[in-house]
Amino acid sequence: MSNRVKMAANSTVLPSGSSLRLISYYWRRMTRNRLAVFGLAFITFLALVAIFGPFFTPDPTEVDFEAKNLPPIGFSTTQSVYKIETDEFITTKVTGTWKHPLGTDRKGRDMLAMIVSGARVSLQVGLLATGIAIIIGTIIGVMSAYLGGWADNALMRFTDVMMTFPFFLLLVLIVFIFGPSLAFIVMAIGLTGWTGTARMVRSESLSLRTREFVVAAKALGASDGRVVFRHLIPNVISLIIVIATLSIPGVILAEAALSFIGLGDPTVPSWGIILEEGQHSLDTAWWVAVEPGIMLLLTVLAFNFLGDGLRDAFDPKSNI
Amino acid sequence: MKKSWLRDYIIKRLFYSILIAWGILTITFILVRVGPSSPADKYLANLAARGQDPSQVIAAIEARYGLDKPLLQQYGEYMFNLLRGNWGWSFSTSMPVMELIKHHWVYSFQLILLSSIFAALLGILIGIYSAVRQYTKTDYAFTFLSFIGISIPNFWLGVMLILVFSVKLGIFKTYYDTTLPLFSIANLKALVLPVITLGTGMLAAYVRYTRSAMLDNLRKPFVITARAKGLPERLVIGKHVFRNALLPLITIIMFDLGSIVFGGAYLTEIVFGIPGLGQVSFNAIFANDYPVVVAVTIIGTLVVLLVNLLTDITYTYLDPRIRYE
Amino acid sequence: MQSENMNNIILSVSDLKTYFFTRRGVVKAVDGVSFELRRGECLCLVGESGCGKTVTALSILRLLDSPPSRIVGGQVRYNATDLTTCSQQQLRQIRGKEIAIVLQEAQSALNPVLTIGDQIIEQMKLHLSLNNSEARQKAINLLHQMGIPSAEEVLAYYPHQLSGGMKQRVLVTMSLCCDPKILIADEPTTAVDVTIKAQVLDIFRELKRTRQMSIIFITHDFSVVAEIGDRAVVMYGGKDVETAPVSQITSTPKHPYTAGLLECLPDISKDVDRLSSIPGMTPDPLRLPSGCTFHPRCPRAMKVCSEQEPPLTPLSKEHKVRCHLYV
Repeated sequence: MSNRVKMAANSTVLPSGSSLRLISYYWRRMTRNRLAVFGLAFITFLALVAIFGPFFTPDPTEVDFEAKNLPPIGFSTTQSVYKIETDEFITTKVTGTWKHPLGTDRKGRDMLAMIVSGARVSLQVGLLATGIAIIIGTIIGVMSAYLGGWADNALMRFTDVMMTFPFFLLLVLIVFIFGPSLAFIVMAIGLTGWTGTARMVRSESLSLRTREFVVAAKALGASDGRVVFRHLIPNVISLIIVIATLSIPGVILAEAALSFIGLGDPTVPSWGIILEEGQHSLDTAWWVAVEPGIMLLLTVLAFNFLGDGLRDAFDPKSNI
Repeated sequence: MKKSWLRDYIIKRLFYSILIAWGILTITFILVRVGPSSPADKYLANLAARGQDPSQVIAAIEARYGLDKPLLQQYGEYMFNLLRGNWGWSFSTSMPVMELIKHHWVYSFQLILLSSIFAALLGILIGIYSAVRQYTKTDYAFTFLSFIGISIPNFWLGVMLILVFSVKLGIFKTYYDTTLPLFSIANLKALVLPVITLGTGMLAAYVRYTRSAMLDNLRKPFVITARAKGLPERLVIGKHVFRNALLPLITIIMFDLGSIVFGGAYLTEIVFGIPGLGQVSFNAIFANDYPVVVAVTIIGTLVVLLVNLLTDITYTYLDPRIRYE
Repeated sequence: MQSENMNNIILSVSDLKTYFFTRRGVVKAVDGVSFELRRGECLCLVGESGCGKTVTALSILRLLDSPPSRIVGGQVRYNATDLTTCSQQQLRQIRGKEIAIVLQEAQSALNPVLTIGDQIIEQMKLHLSLNNSEARQKAINLLHQMGIPSAEEVLAYYPHQLSGGMKQRVLVTMSLCCDPKILIADEPTTAVDVTIKAQVLDIFRELKRTRQMSIIFITHDFSVVAEIGDRAVVMYGGKDVETAPVSQITSTPKHPYTAGLLECLPDISKDVDRLSSIPGMTPDPLRLPSGCTFHPRCPRAMKVCSEQEPPLTPLSKEHKVRCHLYV
C-alpha cells in the first residue's frame, strides 16, 4: 500500500509451506527480534481488551455532566465553577479516582470505556479492511500475472489509475459520497488500498510463473485455476503475510483520520473521534487528546515492529 | 541518437499520462453519479432546513446540474467542462470552484514544499549517517526513532505540539494567522509547528529509505575499488556510494507524494487551521458542497500524476544504464 | 637470509591473521600467512576458492570491513611501514599510489553510475595533483598502451557500455595510472573467456617487461602460474603450505596438496580414463580440521597430522613447506 510495504517486499521470500516444521522455523526466527515480540504481545493484549473490555467497563456513550472533565488516576487539575448565588468562580482541585481510571471527557463519558470501544473499532476495521484489500489485490495480481497479454495490460492500467489517487483524498471522497457508516468505511478502505498488493503479488507471480514446478504442473494437464490456487498462491503467502501486517497500521490510521475530520461512524466512539474532541479541550482536559493518540501510536508501532520482524524472518538473506 | 530516443520516450509517457488522467476523471465521475446521495439530495437537506418547497427545488437542481439528461451526455459535458476550466459552482462559498482553488492552493503548496525540503535534507543526512554507522548505538537509536516517526498519527502529533508549545508554553499561536504576508518571517514562524507535524512522518520515512538504499550499495565491490584507490572516506561515501543510492531514492520519495504526503497535508491543514485545499475540502464536506470535494480530489490526483511523470522522465534521464541503451 | 635480499624485498607479509567474527562463530580466513615480494618479480598466490587468497590481498591494504573482520595478528611491511597498524592517512597515501589492487570481476568492480574517465581521473588528481587536462591526457595514453584505440571516447563511456575484455583493461589502467610500485591482481583471468584470458596475460607480461612491476598475482589455475609467475605461494585453509620458485614447484612439488593441484591439470600427452581430482571438499571455515587442515584429504597423512599443526620447514634457500613429511 505504501512505499514502506514495497521495500518490505523487495526481499526474497520463501514459501511458507504448510508443514509444521517450516512454520516453527519461521516462528523461531521471528521471536529472536525483541521488538517483534513486543509488537505481537501488545496486539494480543489489545485484542483481549477489545473482546473482553466491554464487559468490564461502563457504556461509553453514557453522559454524566456531574462528572465531566475528570483527570485520569494520579493526576489532578483545577476546575472553575461559576456559582450564581455568590456571583463568583469557585476553583476546586479535582483528582482522578478509580471510578474513572482514565478520566472523563467534557460530557462526563468514561475515557476507559471509550478507549476500549476505540480498540474494538480499530482492530475490526484494521483486520477486515486489510483483509478485503489483500484479497482483491492478490486476486488481481495473480490473475494479471497468470493470464498475461491483454488482460494483464488492462488490469495494470486500471491499477495505475487507482494508484495515482492519493489514498486519503480518494477515501474522503468515497466516504463523503456514500456515507460514514462503519461498514462503508471498511469497504471504502478495502476498495482503495489494494493497489500496492496487486503490484507486488503480480511481480512475484511473474517470477514464479516461469519456474519449473508450474511448467511441470501444466504439462501434467492442470487447469489454469488449479495452477493458480494450488501452486502459485501458496508460494506468495509469506509475501502476503508481510504485506498484510504492514498494511494494517495504515488502515487503522486512515480510519482514525476519517473519524478525526468527522467522517467516522458517529454511533461508535473511536480513537479518532475522541481525539477530535480532545483537540477542543486542550486547556481543560488535555488527557482526552493524549490518551487516544498514545493508543494509536502504540498500536501502529506494534504492527510495524511485527511486520518488520516477519519480513526479516521470511527473508533468507537476513542474518538472524 | 540519444536525444531523439529521450524525446520519443517523453512523448510516450505523456500520452500514457493523458490516458491515466482520463481514467482518473472517469472514475471520479462514476463515483459521484453512482453514489446514493445525488447532489440534489444533499442540497435538499440544506434547503429543507430553510423551509423551501422540496419538489420545485429538485426540478431546478436537476435541470441546473443536468441530472435529467442521459448518463452518457452528462459524462460528455462533465469532461468538456473540466477541460474548459469550469469545475462547477461552490454554493457554500458562492464562487466558482476554480476561483476557490486559485485562492487557496498557495497555502497547501507552501506547507508541502517546506515540509518536503525539511524532511528530505534532514532525512537523507541522517539516513546516510545511520547506514555508514550501522550496528552502532546511534544507528539503533535512529532506527527506533524512525519507527516512531512513521507510526505516530500526524494529526495527533499536531495536536500534541499545539498542546505543548501553544497552550502550555505559549511560544506559537494555536491557529494559523491568514493575514500574514506569505514571504515574511512571521509567516515562517507560524509554519514551524505545521511543518514539523507534516514533516516528521516524511522525515522518518526518508531516513529509512536512504539508510536502506545506502546499505544496498555499501558492500558492493566498486566501493572497495574506490577505497583501494586511496580516496578519502567522505568521497567514497558521498560520491561513489551516494550517487548509486540517489536514483532509486529519488523515485521512492517522489512516489511517496501520492500515498502519504497529500493525506498528511490535508490533516495538518485542518489541525492548524491553514486555509489550504485540505481545509477547503473539509469545510465543503460539512456544507455538503460536493463539487468542491470532488475538485480537490481531482486536483490532488492530477498533481500526483504530474509529479510521477516528471520523476519518470528525470530518472530515465539521469540513470546512465537506461540512457545509454 | 633476509639481510642478503634486504634491498630486494619490497613487501613482506609475516604471519598475517585475519579473522571474521560472525554470529555463528569465528572464521579464520587467513591464519598465519607469510611471504615476501621481491622487486620486479611476479609472485603467484595459488589455491582453491575459499583458501583465503582474496582476504590476504585485501588485508594487505586493509580493505576489509572492520566490524565483521579484523586483522588479529602479523605484519605487512612496506618501506618500513607496517600497513596493518599505520594511520588511515598513511594508508590512503599508499593505496593506489604505491600499492594498487585490481579486483575480481571487472563489471562489479567499476562504479556503474560514473564515467570511466571520472573514475580514472579522480585518482590522478588526488595522488599526482594533476589538473583535468593533464590527467585526461595521461589516461588516454595509458588506455592506448593497454590496447584500447578509441581511448578518447571510452573516457565518456559508462561501464555497462564496454565489453568484458575492455572492462578488464580499464580496471588495470585505473590501477596503474598513478604509477604504483606494486600491483595486486585478484584472479584477473578467472571470470573471462579464453581469448580474453590470453590478452590479459599478455598485458601482465608487458607490465613486467616495461615497468619492472612487482606483481602479486592471485589465481587458482596452475597453468597460469606456470606462464606468468616467478615464484608461487600455495595456500590452503588460510595458511601458506608451500613457497618456491615456479620452476621448482611445478617439477618437484613437495606438499601433497600442491602435488594434487598439479595432477588436476589435464595433460594432453597422457591417456587416462578419468581426470584426477583431490578427494574431499574444502573444509567448512567454521569447523577447520585439527592439526594440519589438509589431513582429511591428504593421501600421505600420518597420525601426527591430525594432532599437530606442521611447522614451516625450509627445504632450501628458496623452498619452504608446511608439512609433517619434512619435519
